[in-house]
Amino acid sequence: MGNVVQSEARGAVRFSSVEVCGNMAGLELLSDQGYRLDGRKATELRKVQARMGVFAQADGSAYLEQGNTKALAVVYGPHEMRGSRSRTRHDQAVINCQYSMATFSTAERKRRPHGDRKSTEMSLHLKQTFEAAVMTQLYPRSQIDIYVKILQSDGGNYSVCVNAATLAVIDAGIPMRDYVCACTVGFVDETPLADLCYAEESGGVSSLALALLPRGGQIALLQMDARLHQDHLETLIEAAMTACKGVSKVLDEVVRQHLQESSVLSGE
Amino acid sequence: MIKTEKILHLKSCRGRKVRVVREHYLREKVPCYSALCQADCENDGKVLPADLTHYVVPDVGVVVDYLEILEFRELQGVVFTQTACQAVQHAKGRRQYNRLRGLLKDPRHDCVLFANEFQEFSYVQRERGESLEEWQTRCVYSAAVWYRNHLAGLMDVVMITEDQETVSRYSSLNSGVYVISVQDFLLNFWPDLQAAHDLYSSISQVLQEKKESENSQKEFSEHLPAEVLEAGIKSGRYIKGALNVSKHRAQSEASITATEGLSEKNKDLSGGVFISGVKNRNRAVHGDVVVVELLPKSEWRGRAMGLSEGQGEEKGGVEENQSQPLPTGRVVGILQRNWRDYVVTFPPRDGSQSQSRNSQRILVVPWDHRIPKIRISTQQADTLQDHRVVVRIDSWEISSLYPNGHSVRVLGRAGELETEVQTILIENCIHVPPFSDAQLREMPPNSPEKPWAMDPDQVAQRRDLRETHLVFSIDPQGCEDVDDTLSVRRIAGGKLLELGVHIADVTHFVREGSLTDLEARSRATTYYLADRRFDMLPAVLSAELCSLLGGVDRYAMSVLWELDSQTLAVTRVWFGRTVIRSSYQLHYELAQALLNGEPVRVPELTALTSEERDAKLAQLTEALETLTHVARHLRAQRDRGGALELEGVEVRAQLDHEKNITALVPRQPLEVHETVAECMIYANHWVALKIQETFPHQTLLRCHPQPRDEFFSQLVESAMAGGFSIDTRTNKALADSLDRAVDPQDPLVNRLLRMMATAAMSEALYFSTGLLSQDQFYHYGLALDRYTHFTSPIRRYADIIVHRLLAAAIAAAEGEEPGKSLAGHKELDEMAQHINNKNRAAKRAQKLSTELFQNLFFKERDPQTDPHCVADAIIYAIRDNGVLAFVPEYGLKAPVYLKNREGQVISVGPDGGCDWQSGSVRRSSDHISTTSTCGSSTFRLFAHITVRISVRSNHFHADSLNLEIISNKPHSSAEPEKPRPQGRSQLVQEVVRLAEEASQQAQEEAARRPRVSREEREYRQSKSPNLYSLLEEVRELALLDLETAAAAAAQVCATTA
Repeated sequence: MGNVVQSEARGAVRFSSVEVCGNMAGLELLSDQGYRLDGRKATELRKVQARMGVFAQADGSAYLEQGNTKALAVVYGPHEMRGSRSRTRHDQAVINCQYSMATFSTAERKRRPHGDRKSTEMSLHLKQTFEAAVMTQLYPRSQIDIYVKILQSDGGNYSVCVNAATLAVIDAGIPMRDYVCACTVGFVDETPLADLCYAEESGGVSSLALALLPRGGQIALLQMDARLHQDHLETLIEAAMTACKGVSKVLDEVVRQHLQESSVLSGE
Repeated sequence: MIKTEKILHLKSCRGRKVRVVREHYLREKVPCYSALCQADCENDGKVLPADLTHYVVPDVGVVVDYLEILEFRELQGVVFTQTACQAVQHAKGRRQYNRLRGLLKDPRHDCVLFANEFQEFSYVQRERGESLEEWQTRCVYSAAVWYRNHLAGLMDVVMITEDQETVSRYSSLNSGVYVISVQDFLLNFWPDLQAAHDLYSSISQVLQEKKESENSQKEFSEHLPAEVLEAGIKSGRYIKGALNVSKHRAQSEASITATEGLSEKNKDLSGGVFISGVKNRNRAVHGDVVVVELLPKSEWRGRAMGLSEGQGEEKGGVEENQSQPLPTGRVVGILQRNWRDYVVTFPPRDGSQSQSRNSQRILVVPWDHRIPKIRISTQQADTLQDHRVVVRIDSWEISSLYPNGHSVRVLGRAGELETEVQTILIENCIHVPPFSDAQLREMPPNSPEKPWAMDPDQVAQRRDLRETHLVFSIDPQGCEDVDDTLSVRRIAGGKLLELGVHIADVTHFVREGSLTDLEARSRATTYYLADRRFDMLPAVLSAELCSLLGGVDRYAMSVLWELDSQTLAVTRVWFGRTVIRSSYQLHYELAQALLNGEPVRVPELTALTSEERDAKLAQLTEALETLTHVARHLRAQRDRGGALELEGVEVRAQLDHEKNITALVPRQPLEVHETVAECMIYANHWVALKIQETFPHQTLLRCHPQPRDEFFSQLVESAMAGGFSIDTRTNKALADSLDRAVDPQDPLVNRLLRMMATAAMSEALYFSTGLLSQDQFYHYGLALDRYTHFTSPIRRYADIIVHRLLAAAIAAAEGEEPGKSLAGHKELDEMAQHINNKNRAAKRAQKLSTELFQNLFFKERDPQTDPHCVADAIIYAIRDNGVLAFVPEYGLKAPVYLKNREGQVISVGPDGGCDWQSGSVRRSSDHISTTSTCGSSTFRLFAHITVRISVRSNHFHADSLNLEIISNKPHSSAEPEKPRPQGRSQLVQEVVRLAEEASQQAQEEAARRPRVSREEREYRQSKSPNLYSLLEEVRELALLDLETAAAAAAQVCATTA
């Protein structure tokens, strides 16, 4: 498993070329030498960069880039129930998630109204993931709002959202059982590929998304809607768990660095 | 590993311009695959040797256009850059790219792939406004510089390019990195490699002309873009399939064979789609995967029904009879070109050659009728007249009637034996260079001074059968590669029988992944031609160390069954590695003689005293009898299940010392052939059960699918005309009805019917068990639910795979973890496809070479005078203007015309003699009659006629035989085959009903066994004419005759509709 180290981001170099056009269906996702399209090996993750506390007015916020997928997560709460009070739970907090994509997040600008099926489903998945991770029983009769927005989409939207939201929840100071780290893995040529990018996701790979509580190894959410032979499922989950643990290391580092910075600022 | 930085690429996809941003990760450590590496790269796999003078880095343009030159094995130290590989993928498509990949994987080629775009220091970013080509060149150059630096200047690097500007721009930038043109490179470094120089000039000429020819006149319609095709196929508007050009009417008729999904969607298209004319074929060549659009029903055409004489040369003229209109379409696009190397013949210079403005361009005629003429440009046109040359097709421009190609190498003058044999090999994509030194070095040492000996460790691990078992082999006379031996004995006080099949343990000598293994894998089988053979394994293995010769200790892979001696039910099976010593190396005739109780001389026993000899002989004879008994029982079991007995025709050319042909001998089986075959089938069956049980998803088995009903139509129709009914519902029913269809007057009728049944069979295939569902594993011909090939590892690669699987299964049964992971399902599937293809090629090559020798045989004889050229024939099918006849004496099938091109027909005189008269032909289902001024005459199905055989020479293609009818009576000298009393009744109980006549012929054959010439002794191998190999060979012939079968099917549709 490759260590993920951050370094300074280079600016994008833009070409207006038309020549480098490839037939998407014919892309070779894993070369004979074991390189993927973008030069990674099968188990390597994309570069993860993150910042916590990007907004002052929210209780917690984080910005996370995983490769070219960029997400902003904001957490409000815990606060008392707003809107319909009927959803109040007397023994635990209610988690409310909302996922959205920016109009400019994909190659083509597209208006994305709230409440379409895709984002509703994603919101639901996020909600389930965080209900498993946040210690909701500490805040009965209250509500925690998590808003995530994808600013740029390049594959693995769900996992990036989860990772960003984790940082935001931590920033908000809400106790969690563990970091929730998510990662997608795909299965190509009998090899699991960690952290798929958009080209890989759309290249007909059966992919699996997994959210993990890395320390205990508990699975918060597992989602797969492609066909896969049963025999391969275990190796795929194994690879996903390794990848999630890799992500957790990075997140941990981000959190520690953030703490250090803020403690320096507050002069302690 | 560290990801250093991220660089964004901008891409736009076809159609709408979409900007796609991609990440690009660079790393410091990218393996260089050089033995000189100073930086401890992780070089696993192929490594470039250190003792070269230079490494070659070809530029993108060179890899795209001149890949063929880089394929020469003499060129060493070639570094392909990732940039170039990707360019090949984009510019030339998947096929070319796979070829490059194959090159990189092949350990015999000294070349590696360097992932230059992922290396931190060799990667260069594309600059604003830089053209793609410039950037690619810069990438390749920077990779070359990196190599130089990475290897600390120990190796010079030569970058070759076709662009003069590149040469001038980069050549002086760095010392030690040279940039030169391909031509200079070849001249300076490989001045002796003439073949490469020729190829270079040939290719560059083609490229030159491609640039020049911007002809606006269009001969064909444009192909549709790939997305449109894809969408069309999905929606069902278009149909995808492999183009199959008719062999007999290459100009006008072609069809695509139905592929998956097609028949479900549209029932009436299950027979394929017909494509009429060259225009509609739209530049597709035989074998290409094309996309077809159906034409409106009003434009549907039928196939021509008559026999065509001139191989489609005649144009227009009389409107021939056509079958009912078939679904007809036109090609709208080509998904996959399947161009291979073609053998062509240069036409003689006679001025009539159409030469377009450039006198160097010549239309050459491919050997294969189905391939259109190819235009090539060469300066050697004069010297190459009448020569056969290997050509590759480069392109087919929309403005041209013919494809463009370039010549690769010269084979020799047309008509010479060597040239023709080479032609056969190349046309079937068979590549059999002599074994390389590196491969031979892997062989265990075995010389007369220091003979190979068994390793005591190995002996200890194996079960030793040398003392306990009487092991013997039965093979054709003079056989060198004995891969199967048998043993049988009574154990447990006679209550049990122990039957043993011992197969040469080839996998002990051929380690997986070794050079020998790779070579064997790429050959997949030993190729037998009429006069020579090409071994799959080096001779030291196939004829010495693996061969289970008599009287020497050998490693073997054994299957031992314990059978109840009364019921012959299996009580126990044991698989394992053994050590054996074969006591007798018998041949079929000898074994049969022993069984029949005839006095014979067994060579192994001549040294003994007479009592000893008698005792030994009695022991051997008893073993043989027991074996025969068991084999009959097994056969009976399979017969109950519905095993088919099929008939194949095989003729062997007998050669004398000067390789002249003395006779053509049809081969026929003895009963003992059947015995041996039965034991082998049994062993194969049990091994298949065992490995399939252990590895349910990754086992190589062999299946024989149920034939399609419409292929039987010719058989059923013909049988009906003869007064027999054939039931084709199941294999059992078919076998039974074939047994009933015996004409007491003429045993040949049954043989012919069996031949037709064989022709209707589909082909038996290897497959990986992960691919098919369990009910598709069935072997139709043998009536077994699991079957594989285990018994001939010396000459078939499939058996080697099965041996490895079996060894792994045995290890797994003993609780050991398999040392190396076995081939996965996907890999195995690819392997199975490869072996199937190679087998098909081998069969086809064998058939072609037999035909070649047949033709030579008749060519030397004058058809008017030589008695060999007049023979008895039997009519087995009727066509519009003639009949198809079978000549049993030579085992050949050919058309006989009743109407010639001048419109004259055969008329039969009062004495039965035939001559040409003007008249007409009328055809009905079971006879054809001609009417002329001298009266009318009728030819019925299954009637005997006399024909004269002559050779119709053909300059461009293979010669073909011509049958001319000379009498409607049976040929006088053809001895009628009378049923003979059988010598079998005194033998043990007759459990099986065996086809009467197979044994008859066997007896006859035994009586007049031809003398064995030196050539035969030298080249004959254990390719025994036993039943199961026969079954498969014949099936290959069936495949080749598919076209006629399909035509017959169409005909039936026509008559029934």
